[in-house]
Amino acid sequence: MADLSISALLIRFLLGGAAVVVSTLVARNLGEKAGGIFAAFPAVYLAALLTVGLDFSGEELVSHSILLSKGAIVGMGINILVAILAGYLLPRQGWKRGLAQAMGFWLVVSMAVVIITTY
Amino acid sequence: MYKDLLIRFTLGGAAVMISYLITVLSPWKILAGIFAAFPAVMITAVLMMGIASGSKKAAKIANGSVFGMIGGVVCVATVWTVLQVSGNWALSIVLGLLFWLGSSIIVSSLRDRLKSVRENKSSIKVNIHSGIQVRHK
Repeated sequence: MADLSISALLIRFLLGGAAVVVSTLVARNLGEKAGGIFAAFPAVYLAALLTVGLDFSGEELVSHSILLSKGAIVGMGINILVAILAGYLLPRQGWKRGLAQAMGFWLVVSMAVVIITTY
Repeated sequence: MYKDLLIRFTLGGAAVMISYLITVLSPWKILAGIFAAFPAVMITAVLMMGIASGSKKAAKIANGSVFGMIGGVVCVATVWTVLQVSGNWALSIVLGLLFWLGSSIIVSSLRDRLKSVRENKSSIKVNIHSGIQVRHK
């Protein structure tokens, strides 16, 4: 793995942020139907996947991308549960509390998955 | 508008950056992938709707995002499968995008059908109810 550097972190921050903002702007300009589809564009995952290409090539690139995708598919499953939970909690607890609790759930389940798969 | 974009930029950028940090520093490689799937767009959309229109509408955004996330799962599953089968990184991304688009269109059409079926059912109920009231009068 490449050494950790400020520039490497900054590139990832800018790429991730830009990917989300660009997909949002495209979604807003596409009209209701196509915009609704594009609003759920997996920008963060694709930005993370593309930045793997900055550090690796060949077999290493493929194996690191598989590892990232493995985690991302678990993450997307957790996201669906979080969205369902948020839809349930928000009208009952208010949006601030409901969103905070849904994000707390995201963190707890993510850590549980890490512990289960690692140990 | 700009506040919304700024929050999205910060959350999206932070998610990719943290995913990278975890890959380099921690032994938990699966956590890097989980952060790569961080729901930055959903959180911002719910947050902004909560500020602007309250909890009920924000909850609708959260419920609606479930359909969009199915496309995300298809995209990642495609990339993963293509990488394992062919080992071709660029092809996996291209096919991942194509399958994301295809599945999102299918899910969106199914969602629209579901909505219209629900609306038809509720309008039939209203008609029956108002019919009964007219007879009583």
